[in-house]
Amino acid sequence: MRTATPTSIAPTDGRPLPANRIVTTLSSDLLVIGAGATGLGVAWDATLRGLSVTVVEQGDLGQGTSGRYHGLLHSGARYVVSDPASAADCARENEVVRRLVPHAVEPTGGYFLSTDDDPPDYVDRWLAGCRGAGVAVEELDPAQVMRQEPLVTPRLARAFAVSDAALDSFELLHALARGVRASRGSVLLRHRVTGLVPHGGGMLARIVSLRDEVALQLAAPWVVNAAGPFVGVVAAMAGVHLPLALGKGTMVAMTSRLTQTVLNRCKPPHDGDIIVPVGTVCVLGTTDVPVRAPTDLTIEPWEIDLLIREGQALIPTLRRHRPLRAWAGVRALYRPADDRAPTRDLPRAHVLIDHAPEGLPGFLTILGGKLTTFRRMAQDIVDRVSERPCTTAITPLPAEERRFYRLGESLRRPPPTQSRPERLVCECEGVTASQVEAALAESGSDDLDDLRRDLRLGMGPCQGAFCTYRAAAAVAATLPDVPLDGGLSAFFRERWRGIRPLAWGRGLRQADILRRIQIEALGADPVDEVVR
Amino acid sequence: MTRSVIVVGAGLTGLYASILAARRGAQVLLVAQGRGGLALSHGCIDVWHDGDVRFSFRNLDPAHPLAGLGMAVFQAALTEFLDIVQEAGLPYAGGLDRPMRLPRALGTIRTTAAAPVTLAAGSLDDKTPIHMADLRGFRDFSANLAAGRLRTQGVPIGGVVELPLAEVGARDAYAHELAGAFDDPGYRAEVCSTWKPLLRGVRRLGLPAVLGTSDPTQVVADLEAGLGVDIFEIPTLPPSLPGLRLERALRHRASSIGVDVVEGPSVRGEIDGRSAGRRVSGVVAATAGGPRAFRADTVLLATGGPAHAGWMSFANGEVQDSVFGLPVDAPDDREAWTSPDPFESQPYARFGLRLDSRRHPCDRRGRPYFENLFAAGGLLAGADRTLEGSRQVIDLATAFAAVEAMLR
Repeated sequence: MRTATPTSIAPTDGRPLPANRIVTTLSSDLLVIGAGATGLGVAWDATLRGLSVTVVEQGDLGQGTSGRYHGLLHSGARYVVSDPASAADCARENEVVRRLVPHAVEPTGGYFLSTDDDPPDYVDRWLAGCRGAGVAVEELDPAQVMRQEPLVTPRLARAFAVSDAALDSFELLHALARGVRASRGSVLLRHRVTGLVPHGGGMLARIVSLRDEVALQLAAPWVVNAAGPFVGVVAAMAGVHLPLALGKGTMVAMTSRLTQTVLNRCKPPHDGDIIVPVGTVCVLGTTDVPVRAPTDLTIEPWEIDLLIREGQALIPTLRRHRPLRAWAGVRALYRPADDRAPTRDLPRAHVLIDHAPEGLPGFLTILGGKLTTFRRMAQDIVDRVSERPCTTAITPLPAEERRFYRLGESLRRPPPTQSRPERLVCECEGVTASQVEAALAESGSDDLDDLRRDLRLGMGPCQGAFCTYRAAAAVAATLPDVPLDGGLSAFFRERWRGIRPLAWGRGLRQADILRRIQIEALGADPVDEVVR
Repeated sequence: MTRSVIVVGAGLTGLYASILAARRGAQVLLVAQGRGGLALSHGCIDVWHDGDVRFSFRNLDPAHPLAGLGMAVFQAALTEFLDIVQEAGLPYAGGLDRPMRLPRALGTIRTTAAAPVTLAAGSLDDKTPIHMADLRGFRDFSANLAAGRLRTQGVPIGGVVELPLAEVGARDAYAHELAGAFDDPGYRAEVCSTWKPLLRGVRRLGLPAVLGTSDPTQVVADLEAGLGVDIFEIPTLPPSLPGLRLERALRHRASSIGVDVVEGPSVRGEIDGRSAGRRVSGVVAATAGGPRAFRADTVLLATGGPAHAGWMSFANGEVQDSVFGLPVDAPDDREAWTSPDPFESQPYARFGLRLDSRRHPCDRRGRPYFENLFAAGGLLAGADRTLEGSRQVIDLATAFAAVEAMLR
């Protein structure tokens, strides 16, 4: 049942809005719901075509599925057999993304490795698929691969080079947000759409700030629902039921960079078939588990065991290394009611749904797709909205002025200019005091988890045991009205979630050291609501 | 007849037990795999988070490592500890009947039974207003965080004073490096002349615990004389000076009463082949010259808890002590080892060895694995020390009880 007037919209979280809140009504040509790669890609494309755009995101940049992936810029080779159209898309967009955000891409290259245990006939089908989809591939002598990557299994039957790369999605999202803002679009973080109704040929959205609960209304002739795993929730607000399959993928980062090149198993897509070097770590991906809710990010021990076991087919000594952290992302794939295939086998190509036939002109939902092809998806959507030509493939995104190195990227870029020695806050990831100050000034957020996403603070081997207190001190010194512990307890709780699935062996030792430092040495206590 | 004892582990439990055994006439060899755990320690002797020792100890779960020991043992263990550190030149203040309330780096309050006198001087029973020192360039202590939270709990706070550190400049200062500088009387004099004009109106000054590597009492006395204010220290991030000073003092004390120390990268237990598996013969330590076997009448495991690898755990759900491979009970499902909120009780923290009434590690049915093997400290099952605030009392009391049982 759709409601007719905006005043009767009920917030989805069940709490009625205070009646005395001032409700401002704004308008844009386009409202985008969700600031993942897809949503920001749409917004950036639309601003380049001269539209006024507002993006609403309930979390921080990178807090959703785009920030919860394995870090791979696909060459397309993974999908040449199962989904050739996606593979071709990936191969084309791989080139484009490298041009758009060179600072977010590490050109590691990738290998597809067929081991003695893998089905040999698959290799030929795969090679034919690569040719058909236009995915560049070069066969290598396995001995050459082993010289290049000494930890790789010696049981290699055949080896191929592809143009995989590591893509830092946090950098990509920040670059897109800068692009949107540079063209006077707005990106509202920590705002949630709580109601969506037809309005004068377009839609009217009610939006609430999750920080101060101030509400506003936004009228737009076009609304793009790019809420990732939450697309169903957003569509339901407008009275539309979407048949979805939600799939959770879990990834594990190992403490060291055990490979310099992306390693793929050359066999049909399966759990745990890839290792991606990212910064100082390498990431094992992924599992695929059906889940009921977009917030169901719980990682189970068997997923970790499976990723390490499968990873050992590529790097036999993997078990001797320490898993550092685990995370999971949820993706929504479109599944018509009669389809019962496992989510891994659903098409990865994106699905664009126009809700006009349901009486909601101007309301579009985008789901599926891959981070690598975000720009192409955005183009398809904005083509519906604007007659003007798409220019995203030839417009580089504004690069951040980089003042500091990040670990793992040194020597590939011109040195940042630096006038004085810097004090370190986080030794593991090389985060300096002035970076923390700059990030706090820019975001105004006292959430240390936002600093983590901006700076990688607390993501290294000690998982925040040492830097959390220092960062909390900076928060307390910089921002007004922050928790009395500078947000330390909340961040500690958040880190604990990522550590739990890896709490055995040396991982458990590290977890206990972390807990002892926060609680016994520093005196963290569970009361984190106390605000100064 | 002189009894020979091998103590495995050089944390608080192992060092204290070695000294106790040597004081009682035993011939003691301390074998350690690397350094002990005291670098993580705040240096205080906590007995229970709320300081209510008697009530808490009467209501212990029977599986708790302190169950069945009794107040007399706690009292005797603490008294002898206070004697030892006094002899070692690192005096402590306190006692079981006089729990102290001391400030922590986040501005919460630690209730503790005994603390080095330079920390005990920060007792919050003294109502003189406190100024917190913000040492410029030292990132491991925030005067703001400490003062802000204390103030909301009614502690009289005079304010935050920013104090410069000579020699530090723009680079990072580490606690042990600063402590080394404060060891030098010349540095102390220089600090006094720089800081004195900045401390007008200050009567009592809280500083991070960086005032010297070995003799903080003298450093504080000199600073108090030079600055004309009362001074106390607050422990902060590891490596923690109060813990390192205690380690240094106890090691020195142990050597001076005849305890031999061997450190190696690994230590493995040996079973006595002639005893039909009923006795251990000693340990084999990897040393610079290769593996060396050490034999003794009894062996005490003081190898520590999860942070220090006294027990090791594996992906398949197995847990075992790391010297003799004794099995440690743990749920098969690793998910059950931790709980979602780190401020709530953690099942893994209760993993460890269980003891029979004579302090021998024993199986589920109470049968000892070996008749001359003992265990004490963080390795024992049954307590989430972090939440209870019971870490040090467990270390001291179980070490005391084990040494008494070994030498009986």
